[in-house]
Amino acid sequence: MTGERSRPPAVAVEIRGVNLSYGITRVLKDVHLDIRPGELFAFLGPSGCGKTTLLRLIAGFNVADSGEVLIDGRDIASLPPWKRDVGMVFQSYALWPHLTVRRNVAFGLEERRLPRAEIDRRVAAALDLVGLGHLAERRPSQLSGGQQQRVAVARTIAIEPKVLLLDEPLSNLDAKMRADVRRELRELQQRLGITSIFVTHDQEEANTISDRIAVINDGSVQQVGTPMELYQRPANLFVAGFLGTANIIDGRIVGSSPDRAFEIAPGIRLPIPAEAEAPPGAKLVFRPQAARIGAARPGQSSLPGTVLDREFLGPTVRYGVRVGDARLAVDVPFHAGEPLAEIGAETTVGLSPGTALWLTD
Amino acid sequence: MTLALGARRGAPATTRGQRALAVAIGLFLFAFLVLPTATVVFVAFTEKGTGQFTLVNFVDFFRTDLFVRSFWNSVYVSVMSVVWASALALPLAILTTRFAFRGAVLIQTLGFVPLVMPPFVGAVAMQLLFGRNGSVNLLLDDAFGFKIPFMEGLNGVIFVQSLHYFPFILVNLSASLRNIDRAMEEAAQNLGSSGFRLIRRIVVPLAMPGFVAGASLVFVKVFDDLATPLLLNVKEMLAPQAYLRVSSIGIADPMGYVISVVLIVVSVAAMWISALALKDRDYATVQRGGGGLARRSLTGWESALGYAVVIGILLLVLSPHIALFLLSIATIWSFSPLPDAYTLAHYNRVFAESSLYIKNTLVYASIAGLIDVVIGTAIAYLVLRTKLVGRQWLDWAAMAALAVPGVVLGIGYLRTFYGISLPDGTPLAALWITIVLALAIRRLPYALRACTAALQQISIALEEAAENLGATKARTVRRVVVPLMTGGLLAGFVTSFSTAAVELSATLMLVQSNSDAPLAYGLYVFMQSSNGRGPGAALGIIAVLLVTVCTLVSHWIVERRHEGAGNR
Amino acid sequence: MIKIFAAALALSLAISSVATAQTGKVTVVTSFAKDVTDPFKKAFEKAYPGATLEVQNRNTNAAVKFIEETKANNQIDLMWASAPDAFEVLKGKSLLQKYQPKAVGIPDKVGSYPINDPGGTYLGFAASGYGIMWNDRYMKANKIPEPAEWQDLAKAVYFDHVAIASPARSGTTHLTVETILQGEGWEKGWRTIKELAGNFRQITDRSFDVPEQVNSGQVGIGIVIDFFAFSAKASGFPVKFAYPSVTTVVPANIGIVANAPNKAGAEAFVEFLLSPVGQEVLLDPGIRRLPINPAVYAKAPADYPNPFKDPRFQKMITFSAETSESRTAVVDTLFDQLISFQLAALKDVTKTLHEVDAALAKKDNAQARTLAKEARDLVAAMPLTAQQASSKEITGAFTGAKEKGARQAELEQQWAAFAKERYTQAKTKASDALKLAR
Repeated sequence: MTGERSRPPAVAVEIRGVNLSYGITRVLKDVHLDIRPGELFAFLGPSGCGKTTLLRLIAGFNVADSGEVLIDGRDIASLPPWKRDVGMVFQSYALWPHLTVRRNVAFGLEERRLPRAEIDRRVAAALDLVGLGHLAERRPSQLSGGQQQRVAVARTIAIEPKVLLLDEPLSNLDAKMRADVRRELRELQQRLGITSIFVTHDQEEANTISDRIAVINDGSVQQVGTPMELYQRPANLFVAGFLGTANIIDGRIVGSSPDRAFEIAPGIRLPIPAEAEAPPGAKLVFRPQAARIGAARPGQSSLPGTVLDREFLGPTVRYGVRVGDARLAVDVPFHAGEPLAEIGAETTVGLSPGTALWLTD
Repeated sequence: MTLALGARRGAPATTRGQRALAVAIGLFLFAFLVLPTATVVFVAFTEKGTGQFTLVNFVDFFRTDLFVRSFWNSVYVSVMSVVWASALALPLAILTTRFAFRGAVLIQTLGFVPLVMPPFVGAVAMQLLFGRNGSVNLLLDDAFGFKIPFMEGLNGVIFVQSLHYFPFILVNLSASLRNIDRAMEEAAQNLGSSGFRLIRRIVVPLAMPGFVAGASLVFVKVFDDLATPLLLNVKEMLAPQAYLRVSSIGIADPMGYVISVVLIVVSVAAMWISALALKDRDYATVQRGGGGLARRSLTGWESALGYAVVIGILLLVLSPHIALFLLSIATIWSFSPLPDAYTLAHYNRVFAESSLYIKNTLVYASIAGLIDVVIGTAIAYLVLRTKLVGRQWLDWAAMAALAVPGVVLGIGYLRTFYGISLPDGTPLAALWITIVLALAIRRLPYALRACTAALQQISIALEEAAENLGATKARTVRRVVVPLMTGGLLAGFVTSFSTAAVELSATLMLVQSNSDAPLAYGLYVFMQSSNGRGPGAALGIIAVLLVTVCTLVSHWIVERRHEGAGNR
Repeated sequence: MIKIFAAALALSLAISSVATAQTGKVTVVTSFAKDVTDPFKKAFEKAYPGATLEVQNRNTNAAVKFIEETKANNQIDLMWASAPDAFEVLKGKSLLQKYQPKAVGIPDKVGSYPINDPGGTYLGFAASGYGIMWNDRYMKANKIPEPAEWQDLAKAVYFDHVAIASPARSGTTHLTVETILQGEGWEKGWRTIKELAGNFRQITDRSFDVPEQVNSGQVGIGIVIDFFAFSAKASGFPVKFAYPSVTTVVPANIGIVANAPNKAGAEAFVEFLLSPVGQEVLLDPGIRRLPINPAVYAKAPADYPNPFKDPRFQKMITFSAETSESRTAVVDTLFDQLISFQLAALKDVTKTLHEVDAALAKKDNAQARTLAKEARDLVAAMPLTAQQASSKEITGAFTGAKEKGARQAELEQQWAAFAKERYTQAKTKASDALKLAR
């Protein structure tokens, strides 16, 4: 944990075709994931999507109906939770109220029957790492939420697990602390180089600290990628909508390749580039900042509309524009002194077909 | 509204309602426990002849070898009974709450039944099974030529008391175990703990409120129990000494009452120490208003081992009831491992003569149980959730009821309430409600401990949330606290109800007419003659069955509720 | 024929006229079992149409306490129980009402025990003899001979096989103890009692526990009132009973409670109990007590004991009720402190002495004989004399006397210490004797 001691090399976690049902409810559907050694990986999705179930499956608290979980290439399905060497930080922290902070952190080491001196050293190191060395003799109920969270983390990393699991690690903290703590978590993870998976429903949290994200919805993995990949190339409408703001516009594809176009409303069409994929029934997807208000630039298409509202966001101004029956969000950089489009004004929205995507569910 | 606000601002720690509640409960305890007891035991503090206040009787107590020896015998027996009762209760509680164990409800119910030992017949049944010439010893003697003195001396008392009172630990511990947030256990598993170490290091310590509640009840109950030592002919213990003196005819000896006072003081002290043991520790493990331990499935051989342990324990603790059942269908059972022949005649006689007793018992015990749960919850709430001055005294006063011998309470009731006449001239003490009140007071400690343990495990945050959303204290209790306590409340009700159903000593004093008599009185009447033994046993079995059915239903409700809330 | 019919008619008219005058609820508090009270209730309600007998079952002590505590607003008409000492307590507190029964044909004494309270506050209605009851299976399994006399029970073969109820808690046992003390004298009487007690398996707290233990076979032999044994036998238990050649007779009593709410009804029930019809109910196999009207025995079965004719009942010494009364609490407390609470030590000495006797029977040894005698004397020693036992200084400690004096607890501690010390010394001597004798 400290610099002079070499940690074992980080390990990979592979999830292969996992299915899990509670009664007739299918909670996980054929989940495949490859989590690389040393990676900070996020399971992102709305509540009830199965992301916590998947995490608990890795920890051994849930048992899959089929499929396997490999850690460092070994199937751990037959191992009980206490033999998996997978550290988990619980959402409620689950600190034991009858033990002091020190005894909480020492617990896992004592279970491993380490010598007393070794335990003392590693408990002290873990507490120092989270900056709580001075509170070792307190009981959990005497700590603040942030401190409890750090104790929970210290308790888990003290056993030097092969994999670190964090269940909504920031959800019990106030907004101001969250940014600090998530940076600390990231730093800690980097320093330890430990393969880590955390569950969150907050895309900002996922984007800011994780190397890669698996977006999960309704028990299925929707897409896996770096935050940027997911943002730029969402694989489907769910991912597009869940990560950042996206315009998702109904319409229909008219014509045939190479002269296909997407008709938003009668007479309002956007050409579909020949190289673009546009499966039947797809919807038009683009980010607000990919469009502009006013005359189309070269290569852009013009979509006529009416300004419905505008929001001042600081660096940008977000307009709501009605085009046909659809409502588009368009972000325009804010430059002091430049005139703004008035609400109710007729305008055009300029959009490069190359920045648009056509996605299905 | 403004008034209420004003009161809150003026005294932020307590509300008017809380103070009124405390006063009401204080008055209730004073009228139905403290005053009646005081009218009897004040003799302990008076000087012989002059009637002046004195402590010389207590000096006599400590100067008398017999009493000092009895005192230490009682302490020894109580401590050892707690140890053995825990050894019996722990496996059952953990197996049924922590594992997916088929028949958990049935096991919990059967594990509760030993508490329901009908007076008189229970003793006969025990002797027939474990006595010097009981079935077990006759068989042992026949096969191996030796006997085991199960029912002899202090160890015999410990043996019988452990079997009899272990349900107190089982019930309270199980309620506590169900309330532990499952993440607490998973966190330990995640850090490499499992099996017995997990139970020892995490599960048991977290269930401490329930365990301490149960263990302190066992300690005090064994300390104050007189029936078992008398049954085993052990007289050198405090409670039998008190009883022998208080109930000797025509002797105006204060020592019986002195011993009663000592019993009360020791009981309250034991409760105080157990409260101290849990002080300054936060056991509020229900953070999200539910959850409970995850139930692990058992593999084939684990499950076989589990059933072997459970069946072994149940057979042991239920053996008196098995013997009682045999007795109830036996023609003659004397100096033989099994009865000579079997008959149903005893049941016919009981149904013909005693159905009234059964009905009365159900009515009395349910009302008493309800009173206990209501008052128990109120006291637990006042003690744990308010800062009222002297709130702890309510708890201690209620617990002192454990130590007041039923005879003393019965006499106290007659002395206090017989002089009060109703408009038609019948004395207040002649109404059956007096029996109910006596039962409620006698069994209040059981319900109180269960309610306290249940409340201790509920995070105060859940209440604060309700208050924050605009609920008053009273509404918070009704809408949040009580629903979360359901398990503990039912445990309390069941314990009060079922033990009240077989209570004897106070009722025997207070029964005024046959038509108002409860079942225990019927038992007493039967057990006064040789040919009443069979019908007495039959009536005892009916009592046990009644209580079992009620317990089973309550457990079933708790389990269903638990499963509804626990799955996710 | 017609005469008889007319007489019967007249009698029934007479009864019914009495009955109409005394209809209503008669409340009786009793320690008797349902098997005893039910036949009386039935017969009484039949003889007095319109009357109901409300029976409250309580043990004797609870019954006394109940009447005492509720005297301000008394709802009880009659107290109905065996133990005369309970009636003595009630009498002492003026809770009983004098009544002169109209019934005829009842003698003054049964055996040598006066049937009615000389003060007339309570009346005997039945008698019972004390005797020895044993479990046949138990005796055969343990190869024990059947006992015949009280002295037999002190023999080595009966060691650890005998049960008795504590005299402090069973009025009838108390009478038996007192009978022995009066018959043999204070010192010799206690010696006999302690020799018997050295063989006790159990000293129970309720009278009924003794027959119950014998019925179950937990104890082989019990010293009991006859009707317990008779009804156990009638129920089919493998038990036998014998009156020793000197038996004690104990009466069963009834008394009218002071300020009885239904005094006329109470008197009617007393008269009914003492009438031939009521006396005959006693012959019921479930009750089997001895009527105090000698004429009723004509209707009894052949083997029914008759205390008015049976010489065993006549042999009993003259019994002084006054002596008994004056020292009741002292005798009971002595029994508890010297025997009940010291039973283990007493049995220990007794066991060794039995072994010494056995060894001496094989090979005599004068020195051992002397030691054994000394040990027996130590066991028999009493902390106070008969005079002291009845003296005001001692009895005052038990009766809550107004004057200051020794407290009961102090005396108890002295007596217990006295006995403990002597039993220890006796044990040493007995052990020495055993070494010598072997």
